[in-house]
Amino acid sequence: MPAADIISSIRNRGRQAAIALGQILYGMTIYEAVRDLQKERNSIHRLFILVVFGDVLGVPILPPYYTLRLLPYVIGDLEGWRRSMLRERDFTDLCDQEIT
Amino acid sequence: MNSLVVLAFGALAILVGYGVYARRINTSVISPDDKKATPAKMYMDGVDFTPANRNVLFGYQFKSIAALGPILGPIVAVQYGWLPALLWIVFGTFFIGWVQDYASIMMGVREEGQSFGALSYRLISPRSRSILITFIYFYLVLIMGAFGVQVGFNLFTNPAVPLGVIIVMLVGLLAGQMTYKWKVDILITTLVTVVLAFLGIWLGTTEAVRNFFMGLYGTTGGAASPVWFLAVTKARFLGTLLLLVICYLGAVLPIWRWAQPINYVAFWIVSLGILGGLVGLLIWRPGMGDFPAFTSFNVAGLGPLWPILFVTIACGAISGWHSLVSSSGTARQLERESDGLYVGGGSMFLEMFFAIVSFLTATAAFGGLQGYVDAGGGAAAGTVFSKGLATFMNKWGLDPVFGQAYGAVFLTLMALTIMYLVVRFMRVASAEALGDRIPALRNQHVGTIIALLLTLVLIWLVPFLQIWVVFGAANQLMASLALLLVTLWLMSKGKSYQWTLWPMIFMFVTTIAALGWKVYESFVKNLGNAAAIAEKQKYTVGQVTLANILIGSICVILIIAAFVLMFDSIKAFQKYRQKAVPAATD
Repeated sequence: MPAADIISSIRNRGRQAAIALGQILYGMTIYEAVRDLQKERNSIHRLFILVVFGDVLGVPILPPYYTLRLLPYVIGDLEGWRRSMLRERDFTDLCDQEIT
Repeated sequence: MNSLVVLAFGALAILVGYGVYARRINTSVISPDDKKATPAKMYMDGVDFTPANRNVLFGYQFKSIAALGPILGPIVAVQYGWLPALLWIVFGTFFIGWVQDYASIMMGVREEGQSFGALSYRLISPRSRSILITFIYFYLVLIMGAFGVQVGFNLFTNPAVPLGVIIVMLVGLLAGQMTYKWKVDILITTLVTVVLAFLGIWLGTTEAVRNFFMGLYGTTGGAASPVWFLAVTKARFLGTLLLLVICYLGAVLPIWRWAQPINYVAFWIVSLGILGGLVGLLIWRPGMGDFPAFTSFNVAGLGPLWPILFVTIACGAISGWHSLVSSSGTARQLERESDGLYVGGGSMFLEMFFAIVSFLTATAAFGGLQGYVDAGGGAAAGTVFSKGLATFMNKWGLDPVFGQAYGAVFLTLMALTIMYLVVRFMRVASAEALGDRIPALRNQHVGTIIALLLTLVLIWLVPFLQIWVVFGAANQLMASLALLLVTLWLMSKGKSYQWTLWPMIFMFVTTIAALGWKVYESFVKNLGNAAAIAEKQKYTVGQVTLANILIGSICVILIIAAFVLMFDSIKAFQKYRQKAVPAATD
């Protein structure tokens, strides 16, 4: 293999290692904060859908006029939201919410 | 033995354990398939399920599992000699530790991200979920007690430590304010807060500050701090009080305001400390001097080598905590099935390496056994670690006074960052479990105060080594229950289960034996000798009696819970085996 290729291969590996190290550091530091913010945003979003489309789960809701106006904006999230709302949770789920 | 040989032994174990054994199990038994959608992708909701890059998840997993266990455990365990402690750290991780972490993740991934509670309900029996909850609550109380004694009684009583910790906490609050309110760039925030934290730790070591705390503790001029009640001196009382205030704030304030930014600043203090210690260790390359390879089968204050050594090292070899994090946290973020081994197994092997470095602070930093004993020995493992780390860092020129304060602040932060999250967990858990029957528990302050009072009872009454062994036993028993669940799951899927079954049997028998030993020690050996023990350890007879009744009762509760769970599991085991036989003959 020519020397230029070897140097380029070493450089590539070095770059990949640096990227991986950066990602690991991110995972150890800021990732959790970012995830907590995402969780909070999505929890509010989930609550919003519950208020507007709660009848899917049997919860009384706003007059259908407003619901129908909003439907096109949330249709993509509806299935995931329903699954998320109905998912069984217990004590051991708290580990993720409160500790990690 | 030279410390470099020990590090090389650890590296070899990683090479063979991760590179050969773990990879073989991964491909031949679990057979990850990247075409299968993981729960993180399938159920992505941004709340419970979110896919993450494998390197990011590796960092997250390691950060979540590395706490005080791998640091204090080996330092306590070397009382049996360095050889048994080192062998268990390496072989425990090799055959059991990574197996539990990795298998818990993969079970969660294959079972649609279900938590341990839901899986035990389905795979073992309906009542197993309630038993698991009881078990986990007591386990958390023991974590609080074990960590709390080290922080409140040993670390905070060092006059160079409290101000440093308080300043790091305040700097953490500043980091939160800068990030969330002032929207300052994270690099600038990091730079400013880490520099301020270092300045704070240094400020704590100045003579004026140390004199102030010595005056407060009543230890000016080398005097012993006055005993206020039981074995609690004025210094220990104030140390515990500070600990409780920090935990209280961490448990009731929003996570972004307290826990998260403080943990962020603490991460830098801790990781720079590990790096500094490792560099010093590599420059110095000390031997273990006259530190014996083996001291005695029966160590006073701990008990017999088997089973006690195997629970003492705790998270350094295997930990039930990891299974909780792996199943309910990591499994729901795994992007591809093939990432499971790297994230679960890899981070456990890295933790083993971390435990080895801690092991070397006890065995190599002080030139031999006497140095280790003079530094505090197993009963003051936190102090041994901070002094050992300071000795390593001194090899590249760091002032030993600052180094020791730094090591103590490092350890205190590691404990506190876990402790206030554990109190959070206990608060929410008590509200969930008993909130309907006792509405007051739904109030966050009531739940927090109850959790802290339980902690206080353990810290003030029970000596560290006694709590540590029971904490280790509960931790390892939790691990064996996780392995039990994984074994049943593998059986239900018709997969090979010997690689989890034998570790599970070994850990279950060992931990039950350890708890049984503690019951015997508490109710028979110690209660009958309460007066003699009280005189020897300068405790009151009432304290010795209460401490032993408390610890013995917790052990009995854990044993009963484990046996009921095992009884139900054997029935489930037979059920799955009967199902598996016709399938095998087909």
